[in-house]
Amino acid sequence: MSTPAFFFPRSVAEAVDVMDSYDGAAKLVAGGTALTLMVQQRLVSPQALVSLRDVPGLGEVLVDEDSGLLRIGALVTHAAAARHPLVRRHAPLLADSLAVVGNAQVRSAATVGGVLAEADYASDPPATLRALDAEVAAHGLAGERTIGVGELLLGFYQTALAPAEVVTEVRVPVLPAGTGSAYLKYTSRSHEDRPCVGVAAIVGLADDGSCADLRVAVGAACDAPLRLGDVEQQIRGRRLDGATLSEFADAYADRIDPVSDVRGSAWYRREMVRVWVRRAIEQALLRSGAHEHSKERAQ
Amino acid sequence: MSELQELPDDPGAVKLPDADGRVPVRIDVNGRARTLRVRTTQTLLDALREQLRLQGARSGCGVGMCGACTVLLDGRAASGCLTLAAVCDGTDVRTVEGLEDPSGELSRVQEAFLRHRAFQCSYCTPGFVLALEALLAVDPSPDEAAIREAFSGHICRCGSYSRIMAAALEVAGATDRREQA
Ligand SMILES: Cc1cc2nc3c(=O)[nH]c(=O)nc-3n(C[C@H](O)[C@H](O)[C@H](O)COP(=O)(O)OP(=O)(O)OC[C@H]3O[C@@H](n4cnc5c(N)ncnc54)[C@H](O)[C@@H]3O)c2cc1C
Ligand code: FES
Ligand code: FES
Repeated sequence: MSTPAFFFPRSVAEAVDVMDSYDGAAKLVAGGTALTLMVQQRLVSPQALVSLRDVPGLGEVLVDEDSGLLRIGALVTHAAAARHPLVRRHAPLLADSLAVVGNAQVRSAATVGGVLAEADYASDPPATLRALDAEVAAHGLAGERTIGVGELLLGFYQTALAPAEVVTEVRVPVLPAGTGSAYLKYTSRSHEDRPCVGVAAIVGLADDGSCADLRVAVGAACDAPLRLGDVEQQIRGRRLDGATLSEFADAYADRIDPVSDVRGSAWYRREMVRVWVRRAIEQALLRSGAHEHSKERAQ
Repeated sequence: MSELQELPDDPGAVKLPDADGRVPVRIDVNGRARTLRVRTTQTLLDALREQLRLQGARSGCGVGMCGACTVLLDGRAASGCLTLAAVCDGTDVRTVEGLEDPSGELSRVQEAFLRHRAFQCSYCTPGFVLALEALLAVDPSPDEAAIREAFSGHICRCGSYSRIMAAALEVAGATDRREQA
């Protein structure tokens, strides 16, 4: 078997051109944490490997004040993004979900572009990006387009990316002040394991304490992060008491189509979704401005 | 070769495999410039062990979970089994063999591991030692939480964890005291 050619393109356009010249038979390499194993295990046998290492401009984190977007370059590593002050301030749950991926060595190599392009269901960050309504910018033969994370992640290892398309940036709408958020990772075997279930929750309360905004995405339990927009919609305007939260969590548990794997059976996952959706919202509520406010008043 | 004709004019640095399916990769290994001929699918771990006969980095799990294959890649702790050798072109790699100074004196991390007998079979030891070296390079007096974090991808099947932590804390604390003095 011939071994693949190896490229170090020096721009996104060059990377796209090289990818295109191999007509779907080339693979991009970012952090390499998934790709190296896939190549070793012969799950893929590309004719070319195209490293993004020498492509400049993909390693930045900034906030665009006009659009209100936190922009994270595709090559920013999990470790760098998790500790970046802008990520911690504007999307704390994203930082949390990046910080619980695998182990230190994985986090210092794995990139935010790579984790999305890989579309492995057993991942942490995609659920938070889905809850945050994040988008990716992708460069292909036809130029740049943006794709919502919900539209990007189609299923098990399936994305909406064309073979010669390169993710260049992840764009996250910054959370409004006072919003509470949390990402909870539930592992069923060991601390460093991939998630059995991961839940990202974002909650904003109105002045009267009713729910103004609730966004919940469940990751690692089915083919792609699950959000139920209609269920989220129905809860707006209501008070988030115990009964309401249970009703909300039940809707996710009842409607998800869970996988069975080494980390848990479909039945078990459904029950864990019921538990962890509720806990994630409770955690997000504790971190919301309204809660901080009522604590101040109580003092 | 048919792909070659269709390539864009300047495809960036390209490495086309020779008849044996190998490409040249230049890596600074333990302070010495080396040119290796590797298959583009080969891991850095494999290249170090097979081509350079540096066997301090070990293969444990082979899938990024045990830390036995750890090396310093441009100073950061990296898993050799998760890294393609070809991607390391132009980088600086340090293995446990490169920690002692030219006179043969061990690093203070190595000395501490010896003092504390922080191993039994020692299969995991180079990985733990290099993880701590990488941490100390950015944080000369890390606390226990930071050390645990740096060790998060390292497994000691013999269970020498408490001795490893004792050695690590001693090195971290020693740095601390010296800085306070
Ligand atoms: C030991 C171990 C433990 C792990 N534990 C967890 C965990 O607990 N939680 C979790 O969420 N994940 C976990 N992971 C998965 C890890 O997060 C992913 O492997 C990583 O995020 C992939 O990113 P990368 O940059 O290394 O991608 P690469 O391996 O470089 O690439 C992955 C795929 O995406 C493509 N690609 C990469 N970048 C781009 C781009 N910019 N544009 C288009 N396509 C691109 C590649 O062609 C390839 O197909 C673990 C991995 C390992 C090895
Ligand atoms: S062999 Fe690389 S981490 Fe186990
Ligand atoms: S000393 Fe044997 S594996 Fe750690």
